[in-house]
Amino acid sequence: MVKKVHFVTGKGGGGKSTLAAAFAYKISQTGARTLLTEFNDQSFFEDFLKTEKVSYSPINFRTQLDLALWSPESCLKEYAIHLLKVESLYRLFFENPVSKSLIQIAPGLHELALLGKATSSPREHGPVMKYDEIVIDSYSTGHFLSLLRAPSAMAQAIQFGPMGEQSRGIDKWLRNSDFTKVKVVSLPESLPATESIELYEQLLSEFGIKAQVVMNKLWKIENSHLQKLPSTVQSHFKNKMAEESEALARFSSKSIPLLQVPLITEVDSVKLIEKISEYLND
Amino acid sequence: MIELSKDTKTLICIGTGGVGKTTLAAALAVSIAEQGKKVLVLTIDPSQRLAQTLGIKPDGEIHSIAVDKGSLSAAVINHHKAFEFFIRSATEDNPEAANALVNNRLYQQLSGRLSGSQEFTSLITLYRYSSSGDFDLVILDTPPSQHTWNFLRAPEKIAALFNEGISQWFRDLNSPSVGLLKKALNFGTTQVLKALENLTGSQFIKELGAFFQAVQKWQAPLENYVNNSHRLLTSATTEFVLVTALDPSRLAEAQKLSREIMTQGYRLKSIVINRVPDWVTDTQQFESERINQLSQYFLDLQKLLIQSVTGFKNKLKVYKCPEMVQNESDVKTLSKTAQLITEISTVSR
Repeated sequence: MVKKVHFVTGKGGGGKSTLAAAFAYKISQTGARTLLTEFNDQSFFEDFLKTEKVSYSPINFRTQLDLALWSPESCLKEYAIHLLKVESLYRLFFENPVSKSLIQIAPGLHELALLGKATSSPREHGPVMKYDEIVIDSYSTGHFLSLLRAPSAMAQAIQFGPMGEQSRGIDKWLRNSDFTKVKVVSLPESLPATESIELYEQLLSEFGIKAQVVMNKLWKIENSHLQKLPSTVQSHFKNKMAEESEALARFSSKSIPLLQVPLITEVDSVKLIEKISEYLND
Repeated sequence: MIELSKDTKTLICIGTGGVGKTTLAAALAVSIAEQGKKVLVLTIDPSQRLAQTLGIKPDGEIHSIAVDKGSLSAAVINHHKAFEFFIRSATEDNPEAANALVNNRLYQQLSGRLSGSQEFTSLITLYRYSSSGDFDLVILDTPPSQHTWNFLRAPEKIAALFNEGISQWFRDLNSPSVGLLKKALNFGTTQVLKALENLTGSQFIKELGAFFQAVQKWQAPLENYVNNSHRLLTSATTEFVLVTALDPSRLAEAQKLSREIMTQGYRLKSIVINRVPDWVTDTQQFESERINQLSQYFLDLQKLLIQSVTGFKNKLKVYKCPEMVQNESDVKTLSKTAQLITEISTVSR
């Protein structure tokens, strides 16, 4: 039974996927059965973590840690087969050109399928998942809010019938702060900081979700480090550090707590997520 | 500055989100225009600052930008308008059919919401201007997507929608003159429609039927477009440039992407590592352990990135673009950014 789902989001290029993997590794280290999954059509993690092919059926990666790939189509298929019980009926309903096109164009259906899968355990819908916690490498900042908004929008559009009911159920669990956790990965730079603060405030006011903001790739340079450096290098880092402290100050002026992760100079991706996980204490 | 083949008329910038692809596309455009060329750059979602610098709005219109030499135009692709342009230009002789489709509620959802529609409209816009002959070079900044192949596969995805079978299907359902056998065969599909209707409501199904019937007229022009844009992407005058960054998460990605692009017959000739710290050197040691550590880290990443794209049949040039503190503040800085792109390695088998 899945007790917690962690959605990891952030601006593109900020280390969202790396942090998602590090969080999953950290959680699995506490003994919880953990699934690291991504909302994608093709797996990023199979390349990044150099594993065998990752698809909808989970594969084992480390002790207590599995990997999977959740595409909207596969989530929908699993749900439909679970509902219809018979695979041939599924084919009749879903593998004809009309349904295929419909699934492509129906607004909100993809989002609903993904979030339906993410909340299937507490809603007791669909096949049982043997995990305690799920970490999802989710959409980047801009798309993330529209993802979370899909169930309530759908519930408003379709008030009756199973689709309306499901949508309301999904929306309810997304707003449950014991179940749904959101991690926003930010960088110590001006634009990513602005985006993260906006997202944090929006998640709080619209969904009552208190996100955890991770400040990634901190420079960790002391002023004393700079003194003996050539002047060009000095001025480069003075600029960087000014931008960094300004970004940090903006979070503290809003009283948004930050989980701080330094820029870790490790090029091996598996070692990198292990090292990052050491900084991810609640 | 990156070296393009002298025949290149279309340049496509690819790479995952957050690497500064849009700014780099704009910088290349300014710099190539200043060589005396007529250049158009098509962007998708420029930052506010870049849009201000170029003086462009997300209206789909072409704006011209003052440069010292040559001529530079820029546009932000408006997906809604681009889709409508496609619909109307494909049926110039039949504006009523175009209106019927454009006013269909499902179409209105589709032109914005369909997965892959941004990729599709980028591609048709690129095709429109590349084939117009109005420009010496058209540069396309591809949509922010986690995977570049979404862009390359967009035409097929859309083509599947305009499938003849679907509208036939709806037509038969509404037609009383269909024979008994066909009716029996249709029983299965009727069940599907019923299920859909329970899920979505009858209004939606009506719109859906109308939509597929309206859309059928575009099947032939769409196939044309799909063929033409595929021809454009694989043409000898089209080049791809992959923009990437110094981060462990980009290593395997650069490798996979380069391989994918090349095996599909696209001409990837350059890789630009963007925002490389310009203070990093492999000769100098600094009197700070952390700075040396960072310097070594960036050097290692650069080396690994070059290694990851080695071994392809085609020659691939790897460039770096230094990190600029304020890299989009005016057109001159954009031009300077492009000038600072230097080749670091030519890799081949």
